[in-house]
Amino acid sequence: MAERVVITGLGIISALGTGKDAHLTAFRASRSGITGVTHLKSVHADEFVLGEIKMSNDELSEKLGVPTGDNGYTRTTLLCLAAMDDLLQTTDLSLLRNEPFAFINANTVGGMSKMEDIYMDVIATGTDEKNNKYINTLDCAESTENVADHYGLKPIMATISTACSSSSNSLILGARMIKQGIVQRAICGGGDALSRFTLNGFYSLKNVDKKPCQPFDQNRGGLNLGEAAGYCLLESESSAKARGANIIAVLSGYANTNDAYHPTAPSPTGEGASRTMQQALDMAALAPEDIGYINAHGTATQNNDLSEGLAIQRVFGTNAPYFSSTKPFTGHTLAAAGVIEAIFGMWAMEEQMILPNLNFETRMEELGIQPVSSLMEHTPINHVLSNSFGFGGSNVSLIFSKA
Amino acid sequence: MKQPLYILSACSISPQHSYDMERFLNPVISSDDNKLYVTAPDYAKYISPVAIRRMSRMLKMGITAGMRSLEMAGIVTPDAIIIGTARGSVTDMENFLKDMISLKEEALTPTGFIQSTYNSVNGWLAMMTKSTRYNQTYVHRGFSLELCLLDAQMMLAEATGNKYLLAGGFDELTEEYFIIRDKIDYYKDEPVNSRTLLSHYDTKGSIGGEGAHFFTLSNDPNNATCAIHGIAMLQQPSSDALQQAIADMLEKNGITNDDIDVMMCGMNGDVRNKFLMDPLIAGCSTNTTIAAFKQLSGEYDTASGFGLWLVHYLFTHSSIPSDIIYKQGSSTSVKNVLLCNVTIACNVTLMLVTSS
Repeated sequence: MAERVVITGLGIISALGTGKDAHLTAFRASRSGITGVTHLKSVHADEFVLGEIKMSNDELSEKLGVPTGDNGYTRTTLLCLAAMDDLLQTTDLSLLRNEPFAFINANTVGGMSKMEDIYMDVIATGTDEKNNKYINTLDCAESTENVADHYGLKPIMATISTACSSSSNSLILGARMIKQGIVQRAICGGGDALSRFTLNGFYSLKNVDKKPCQPFDQNRGGLNLGEAAGYCLLESESSAKARGANIIAVLSGYANTNDAYHPTAPSPTGEGASRTMQQALDMAALAPEDIGYINAHGTATQNNDLSEGLAIQRVFGTNAPYFSSTKPFTGHTLAAAGVIEAIFGMWAMEEQMILPNLNFETRMEELGIQPVSSLMEHTPINHVLSNSFGFGGSNVSLIFSKA
Repeated sequence: MKQPLYILSACSISPQHSYDMERFLNPVISSDDNKLYVTAPDYAKYISPVAIRRMSRMLKMGITAGMRSLEMAGIVTPDAIIIGTARGSVTDMENFLKDMISLKEEALTPTGFIQSTYNSVNGWLAMMTKSTRYNQTYVHRGFSLELCLLDAQMMLAEATGNKYLLAGGFDELTEEYFIIRDKIDYYKDEPVNSRTLLSHYDTKGSIGGEGAHFFTLSNDPNNATCAIHGIAMLQQPSSDALQQAIADMLEKNGITNDDIDVMMCGMNGDVRNKFLMDPLIAGCSTNTTIAAFKQLSGEYDTASGFGLWLVHYLFTHSSIPSDIIYKQGSSTSVKNVLLCNVTIACNVTLMLVTSS
């Protein structure tokens, strides 16, 4: 039997703040990070609410100890560095310097947050010294390579982009590389900064709610975008035990499948998503009733929540486990959503609490189930399921179990 | 790497007549403006008239190369679809971004936004083949295709029973993307006839290219043309580290330098990688024929796909086309081929491909 893969370190930055304490405090206070717009320079800034990280690029740079101003780092990279800094609060960097390890990163639009400001200058012929340091930042690998360089690391690097399931796929790849003995440890996750490009993209699809989002609600009006970055340190159970590491959770099951249905919309019956969850359960050798909490993808779009709700019912019946979408706290953070919500699931298990699905009022008429709408402490959870679904029919489910 | 990747079929859309293999290099397609765009096949063969109308060229290229590779292998529904692309559909990204800027964020249509999503070709191929299984997209610059193949290799190592995977890489050249990359010396300042690229190894940069390459891969050796036995990705290696990586790969597979019949070399004409390429070529056995391909494909992040397609071509044809021979070796057969690609950033990837 292949060796178990465990999680021994976490790092995160989102609209709720940086690190575990900031997030748990916000969850316990039911305080959302979704607010009016401060940093994103959109003509629609006054109309929308976003899960924006409250720090400016210069404030992030100061916190990271890198030069402020035009330092060559996009906001995407700054967020990734902030999440990695948080992970390294509890992980000794020398551990990663002494042996080959993998760094699996994910994002959806690279450094678009910077590029959209300078694009017309960049495509003009002639010299453009001022912007040259940003020219390659549209590559998704930019943040991956910059993060590794910043810490002087030479890992096996990979960057994944499967829309809103991207960073969940990072965790799967890291786990597989560990199981195959390619590496003993992998840092897996991803990050996305808000950009006008993405906001207008979802807006043109009529998927954006201008009010705080209401996942799994009959009257839901679409998603709120957010920005975040998060990383998990994955390692083989034996190497974690050998170094006496604190094991936060076991990555006991995962599945990546495809809807093969439509370029952007999920299958309306939830068939694809149910297959993903079932395969993850099968891998973990768990029955549906073993799952104590589902952190749903729950974007609050018409399509996703209907499809995902029906999929949960298909797998778990109408007596489904406690479930919620935490997107009303953070917004939909796209490539980062998978990993930050995996982290939320692990914390829910550690703290034995069910995170609330804020803004829920009315059960969807198509469903016999509804999300948990206020925080529940002291709830036994031994296994959590975390869903991420994206454009291109890309479905990922992850299951974390108590160590 | 214990699990070989058996290649059942390969399809190429490139600047050359590679899609229509019978016309390959007859004639050689060349350019004088440092840009090589693909010779487009009939995209309507696999894509419906309704779908094709809104599709950008990258989608048409990726979908067509993928579907054709499966068709050639006789596979209807692959067990996985794994893709590497550094930039996906650049045209779609450009269109949506420029519309957003010029229309001041009003009245935008979502087509460009949707199609610029890096996994959009994955999604289309899944829909068209009804493949509901594993689906993955790697977007790591010059390692994108190699990461895709590494994943495929891991999938086959995890598999029980015969599995058939579709793996491929693609990237697109646009006028704007050329201007952008030209500013950081990706392309040569002086106009170069593409066929003479490698005689311009004294200046910075290469020539622009693009293409889509798909391979149907299996752990089942039946009907395989050749097999990948080793994949390595080297981040800006020293010349010594490159030589060592090659020696390690050959040793693991129980062969020596003299056993390499062909080295398929992704030399791109950029003076900045001469320190890697000169010793590499000098270190080859006299048995080894050194072949080069970027004078035919141009340079782009997944150009190694054209290299791998050419390796596959060598295994299906008895002779090595003279247009790719850089230095003739004494070996008269093609059993072991080392594909060595170098990028503008001086990253190097290696693949060892053998006849079985």
